[in-house]
Amino acid sequence: MNSIRLGAVLFALLAMPAFAAETGSVIRTDGIKVEPFRDAKTIATLTVGDKVEIVKKKGGWLQIKSPKGNGWVHMLNVRKGGMRKDSGDIGGLLGMASGRAGTGKVVGTTGIRGLDEVELQSAKYNETELNLVESYAISRAEAQMFAIQGKLVARKFDYLPSPEVSPE
Amino acid sequence: MKAIMKYLSVTVLMLACSTGWSFDFEEEFKKVIKDGVQKKIEEKSDAATSSALLGLVGISQEEEITIGRQIAGNLLGASALIKDQSLQIYVNNVGRWVASQSERPDLTWHFGVIESSDVNAFAAPGGYIFLTRGLYSLLQNEAELAGVLGHEIGHVIRKHHLKILQQSSLVDLGGKLISRRIGGNDKVQKLIGNGAEIVARSLDKNAEFEADRIAVVLAARAGYDAFALPEVLQQIGHFAKDDGSVALLFKTHPHPDDRLEKLGLVMNDRLEDVKGKTLVARFYRIKP
Repeated sequence: MNSIRLGAVLFALLAMPAFAAETGSVIRTDGIKVEPFRDAKTIATLTVGDKVEIVKKKGGWLQIKSPKGNGWVHMLNVRKGGMRKDSGDIGGLLGMASGRAGTGKVVGTTGIRGLDEVELQSAKYNETELNLVESYAISRAEAQMFAIQGKLVARKFDYLPSPEVSPE
Repeated sequence: MKAIMKYLSVTVLMLACSTGWSFDFEEEFKKVIKDGVQKKIEEKSDAATSSALLGLVGISQEEEITIGRQIAGNLLGASALIKDQSLQIYVNNVGRWVASQSERPDLTWHFGVIESSDVNAFAAPGGYIFLTRGLYSLLQNEAELAGVLGHEIGHVIRKHHLKILQQSSLVDLGGKLISRRIGGNDKVQKLIGNGAEIVARSLDKNAEFEADRIAVVLAARAGYDAFALPEVLQQIGHFAKDDGSVALLFKTHPHPDDRLEKLGLVMNDRLEDVKGKTLVARFYRIKP
């Protein structure tokens, strides 16, 4: 029964035009660059509210198409959102897929459930689970090996300043 | 529209309030800690740094870990670990590598994925970090996991929750200690309130923005694509506001769009040309 419903949900998800090009709107003025890096040539300027079609992401850059030109802009200057629907169709589907009905109540008996404030307040200490998670601890040296296996190389970067002028 | 994400979360610590305690209580608390719950203590090499940091709130690292351990045990009482050892070890590897890039590289860090369909993550003092199955399932690659864990690591290293506990009435003990048996360390439990409620409390918005900035830098330092966390935030931002699985996250965090805007103000100029790995192929997918 549950698997039938899950199948229906998956089918519905796959059948949606969700794989159509994603769109977004520009939230900060930005130049369209021919390549995804700072010093690349700028071919046009997008202003707040311009709509773009998103082709792909690469690091902090999005390849976009727009009436003003095609190229690369800063990912964080574009808010994805062309597919937003107030009806929340996608949210509803996700809700069902995760075992929730629209009420926010947990349904189903899969053992997966939500975690709300009431549950957290009434939570009882579980030493067994705590010991279990502690048994998975990785040493600094082991993590270093894991990084090497993934060809991850540590680099130096300063922390970013706060954009706020916040008097403490 | 659907939007927002919260994900990182809350943790609280409770250590801080030594000022209100009577001298007797402090003595007792220290004793409790010595023979109590805590088993993991940071390695000596980190002691100097940690003491300096902890000095800010008057709590030793040992006390911090004791408190975090109690909170972690309670949280696990609400949602148990996913019983997939490969997953848990993978997450500990990624988290430990990211944490090694922070100023507390020698803390004994713990990471876990818990059985909850909610989209959320939690940090407790002393280096206990958890994310839900719901959040993990949204992730597309290892860099995104690193970014999410980096946000929680940010809360731990800046002691955001400890500070809240310090200011909170939760730590206003007034001297009376409860003796009922609730598992773990009763006296520490008294400090943190009911169960794991402390992880459901909101931090200051600026603490969340700060954790985001720390997360992207730690990810970059670790060799990952720094813009993976923003990708996750965008995805969470697409959830409907009334979707129950993001209810607690949205309640305790600024809207993902706000977080993305704040990140954009400082990331574009400084990290735009930084390349990093996403490691899609190595990313561990949870069995449904």
